[in-house]
Amino acid sequence: MGKGIIAMAEKVLTVCPYCGAGCQFYLVVENGSIVRAEGYAQGRTNQGELCLKGHYGWDFLNDTKRLTPRLKRPLLRRSRDAEFQEVSWYEAINFAATRLQEIKHKYGADSIMLTGSARGPGNEANYVMQKFARAVVGTNNVDHCARV
Amino acid sequence: MAGLAATLGNGAMSNSIPEIEDTKCLFVFGYNAADSHPIVARRIVRAREKGAKLIVVDPRMTESARIADLWLPLKNGSNMALVNAFANVLIEEGLCNKDYVANYTEGFDEYYKMVQKYTPEYAEKISGVPAKLIREAMRMYATAGDAFILYGMGVTQFGQAVDVVKGLSGLALLTGNYGRPAVGIGPVRGQNNVQGTCDMGTLPNVFPGYQKVTDPAVRAKFEKAWNVPQLPDQVGRMLTDVVHLTREGKMKAFYIMGEDPVQTDADAASVREALKAMELVIVQDIFMNKTALHADVILPATAWGEHEGVYSAADRGFARFRKAVEPKGDIKTDWEILSMMATAMGYPMKYKNTEEIWTEMIGLCPLYSGATYEKLERLGSVQWPCTTAESTGTPYLYAGNKFDTPSGKGLLFAAEWRPPMEQICKDYPLVLSTVREVGHYSCRTMTGNCAALQTLADEPGYLQIHSSDAARYGIEDEELLWIASRRGRVLTRAQVTDRANAGTVYMTYQWWIGACNELTAENLDPISKTPEYKYCAVKLEPIKDQVWAERYLEEEYSKLRHELSQPVR
Repeated sequence: MGKGIIAMAEKVLTVCPYCGAGCQFYLVVENGSIVRAEGYAQGRTNQGELCLKGHYGWDFLNDTKRLTPRLKRPLLRRSRDAEFQEVSWYEAINFAATRLQEIKHKYGADSIMLTGSARGPGNEANYVMQKFARAVVGTNNVDHCARV
Repeated sequence: MAGLAATLGNGAMSNSIPEIEDTKCLFVFGYNAADSHPIVARRIVRAREKGAKLIVVDPRMTESARIADLWLPLKNGSNMALVNAFANVLIEEGLCNKDYVANYTEGFDEYYKMVQKYTPEYAEKISGVPAKLIREAMRMYATAGDAFILYGMGVTQFGQAVDVVKGLSGLALLTGNYGRPAVGIGPVRGQNNVQGTCDMGTLPNVFPGYQKVTDPAVRAKFEKAWNVPQLPDQVGRMLTDVVHLTREGKMKAFYIMGEDPVQTDADAASVREALKAMELVIVQDIFMNKTALHADVILPATAWGEHEGVYSAADRGFARFRKAVEPKGDIKTDWEILSMMATAMGYPMKYKNTEEIWTEMIGLCPLYSGATYEKLERLGSVQWPCTTAESTGTPYLYAGNKFDTPSGKGLLFAAEWRPPMEQICKDYPLVLSTVREVGHYSCRTMTGNCAALQTLADEPGYLQIHSSDAARYGIEDEELLWIASRRGRVLTRAQVTDRANAGTVYMTYQWWIGACNELTAENLDPISKTPEYKYCAVKLEPIKDQVWAERYLEEEYSKLRHELSQPVR
């Protein structure tokens, strides 16, 4: 019993997205969905141990809609009293980039503030964000929410 | 970060999380590990089991305080006075390591002048901690041999935060507790990648690898690598400047990646007002949130589990996280979205994968240059500095007691205690302090959508209140009540507990209905610009008709859920 299930299950080694302790563990994936988390004995900071969030904190990926729905498509509204409309990536990026350029030309690059994220995106995304702020927008106004 | 960077030259944990259990004395200041970092808490328990002494400074009877040798229940907002008194005892009782101070530190004379008046008796008047206990704590700390300081947001989320961090780092300097395993000082980061976000230069004053934007040679290096004629040479604005700069008409656009400032920043009403005044708000996130309701454009990104990359643990440990499932919907990784934005703005940007980004980054950062993807894969985790191909990383900093300051010495620093900005009064007689709880995290969009965690705790969250205060207001455990400050009023639920100290109430910040940041004040630390989340004046209003209150809560919660679901079909 269970042979087929074992064959389909896949273990993906990862790092917890919650606190800063850097616990490493496996996500067990079956049929494209996460079914559980398993401690990783070689994890440098946690050595196989996991807390409540490590054990159960992956469920949001299944879009449970318990609190809020996942964002699935770019949304745009051309005035603040309008409703958000689903648009293509091209339209969303084009709108955002054009408006940022206009603001930069009208008020200067330092009238634009950008944030990195200390949560899920990861170091590479933050590197690209600060590069975007400095090299493309032309400002050092880039920060994140937990700085001390 | 600013505190340790000034006194030691590096803002990160000096030593590693695993070393916590091998120290002889743990000195825990304003840090509730059991609720913030359960896995670190286990290390604290294990250290205790191995015979380490445990000293806890916290107004609440936290789990660590419960098992401590010494618990110093200080009055909220008196940190600096107490830290100065600690230094006073170390010096006056000859408990400091004189050779160490002479050889490896600077600034002693001025430091001594400042802490001289902070006798334990003087600090007792401010902090409420008995002078005898202050002396005992320092005797225990100084004579342990190896001592490790851990601090958390009970230090950093005050109007006087950086000074206190500097003061704490000075205690370890006075006693020679740096440059070897199981000593030093550790700020344990609240979010999984706060350390990484700093490491990557998502800060107004530094490029990745803590290289200053004001240094022309550094700028020239990045200008060449990024192929731009000129990079900005002025230190940028901080996130906490946004509200007032928008009011002054100086800030016009806000590009927010993976944050929810309406929920998590102090004084939520001011944040909303700023977002409304902006000409352009771009939100890039995984869920709808309160901030996104003010956006012009929302760019949907992949979440943890759907993309890969590297995080930095609080103790400078790089480790790779991996993609487990395919994203659903028409969504992209954050770096792909930013590359599309850059390209649309006339700066062609294209990366194949995160490894290509990482390789570019470490090539520009001497601190991380040896930490390749291949090495991270092979070793599992690498703590920076990792400066060569051979290096396996650096578990503890300041080997040979060489600090990363310009002089190579550790800086002793003390400052006068400043009381919190907002004082309690007749109309607002209680202090509100915001804290963490174990089951939820940050703005709750992730944990609130996890079945097991949501079942554990839901709206409107709890207000921890001491039984004597509850009795005075006639509030029973589990009853709904109003809490108000000069800035707002929200509904919350009482949790009567004598782990809280009388005169202060505690709330966690992730709730929509019980949104404590409608109440908090934005009294910023002058250097770090972190708001005073840990101290504002409030009053309580009991509710007679609890049936009505429960119904009101349900209705408001449904309304908010509906408002946030509505844009996404």
